[in-house]
Amino acid sequence: MAGILFLVLLFFTGAYEKYGPTPLPFVVPKGWPQPPTNIFASNPSTREGFLLGKTLFYDGNLSRDSITSCASCHQYFAAFSTFEHSFSHGIENRFTQRNAPGLFNLAWKTSYHWDGGVNHLEVQALGPITDTNEMGETLDNLLLKLRNNPQYPPLFKAAFGDTAITTKRLLKALAQFTGNLVSAGSKYDQVKNGKDSFLPYEQKGYEIYKQYCSSCHSEPLFTNDKFSNNGLGLNKLNDLGRKRITGLSRDSLQFKIPSLRNLKLTPPYMHDGSMGYITQVINYYTVIDSSLPQLDPILKKPIRLSERNKAELLAFLFTLTDTSFTKNKNYAPGEHIIFRH
Amino acid sequence: MNKCLTTFIALFMFTSYKAQSQPDMQKIVIHFKHVANGKSLHPDSVYQNPLGETYSVKKLKYYLSNLGFNKQVNTNISLIDAFATDSIKIMLPYPAKKGTFNFQLGVDSIYNCSGAQEGVLDPLNGMFWTWNTGYINFKLEGQSDYATTKTKHFEYHIGGYTGKNKTMRQIRLPYAGTDRTTQLYILVNLDNFWKGQSDIKISTTPVINSPGAIAKSAADNFSGLFSIIQQ
Repeated sequence: MAGILFLVLLFFTGAYEKYGPTPLPFVVPKGWPQPPTNIFASNPSTREGFLLGKTLFYDGNLSRDSITSCASCHQYFAAFSTFEHSFSHGIENRFTQRNAPGLFNLAWKTSYHWDGGVNHLEVQALGPITDTNEMGETLDNLLLKLRNNPQYPPLFKAAFGDTAITTKRLLKALAQFTGNLVSAGSKYDQVKNGKDSFLPYEQKGYEIYKQYCSSCHSEPLFTNDKFSNNGLGLNKLNDLGRKRITGLSRDSLQFKIPSLRNLKLTPPYMHDGSMGYITQVINYYTVIDSSLPQLDPILKKPIRLSERNKAELLAFLFTLTDTSFTKNKNYAPGEHIIFRH
Repeated sequence: MNKCLTTFIALFMFTSYKAQSQPDMQKIVIHFKHVANGKSLHPDSVYQNPLGETYSVKKLKYYLSNLGFNKQVNTNISLIDAFATDSIKIMLPYPAKKGTFNFQLGVDSIYNCSGAQEGVLDPLNGMFWTWNTGYINFKLEGQSDYATTKTKHFEYHIGGYTGKNKTMRQIRLPYAGTDRTTQLYILVNLDNFWKGQSDIKISTTPVINSPGAIAKSAADNFSGLFSIIQQ
């Protein structure tokens, strides 16, 4: 009887070891909209899940050659894009087909990849892991490698309650890491929060942005998450963009509108990385041929900018660089988790 | 996303409706007998489709969901593999009288749009598209001299879960038996894959691997594949 009482006491005092990950609340930055869907609805965000996801993200074992990790093409210092590469390198010196985008504020997206082919953050990682040009690994072999790596069973146990290593848990953990990558600490954000102010030419650039760029690259995420044909035409890889997913000719050459946040850190630009400099991109939009078939109607209205205006716009775009994001130890390789929201 | 939500609500309402009635449940074994040209399907055999093309089959896998008699269904999803898992055991309320045995060939849209799944829906099973999210509802692969591909390989990955591209199909098979047998035998006749509402010709269409009009017309042939073998 005393024994039972002791056990009951133990249960209530929580003195015996039970599964209890620490919640890692997802905080929507001040003034931002709620994400359209809750990506953590069936995948509660926890420190343990995040740490496991981060460990997997930086682990080359996720690829067939065991050296190419998610972070090989999504570099920490480059807001998780591939710095200075139009196409990233997959395993065995293969090239990917599109420019690796920066990874941040993914929780506000309703589709992923340049063509929007992926409908949920949890299943996104399956693409790069299994693609022969990227990490080229099979799920069977990957799970086997993780099970045989003494580092992982305890991490899975801490995150999910037992040491079972499954596709579902792998994907959910990765989504906890990538879904928690929030970049909202740029100078622009400081200005919006009344903690800083724009220099006069940045302010002028902001006005130009609002006039010419904001309908697609809408605040505060600096993208409306939709698709657009910006007139670039068919590249040598015959990449038809959104059409490949929907099969609809009206979606031909439409690509996901990327965020302008952290622009300075994510060269080169466009879905195929065909423009190396932001100035090139700005110039491009001032000289688009409005007679191009299927050009997004919004781009048919000419954008006329003086050289001074272009410099002002550029100065504003540089205020979207978030060094608090690129230097956030929580996102860096290693075990730091010191979230302060 | 709205589509997801509606499906979810529909599914929820459906399951809550089901919970109210308490029919007599029993375990039944459903056997799927895969044939082509009247012969059992075997990976080393050569068959001829009704369009006169010879072929062999390397893989035949498909999802079945919401199996049941008349209006009572079991919402579990099964993955049938002609060369590995050709029978399933499920709990079903047995029909009091004759009617139909029903199921859906494919995976409900809700599972196509709500993130990582497990069990038969684990992407490990090779029935999931990674570049265009969604399950492959039906997969048939093989070799044929009629295929215009370099390797003479043909491949039909039939999927698509939204709007016009939906390839999940409701199958209703007349069921005459009223005895309480616990075995049900279903004939899956591959001859009808090639010729049904539309023709699927290996020589003209050796590969289907994305949602769209062609996948949809292939899915329209699904209902012809199945019939109950009366014992």
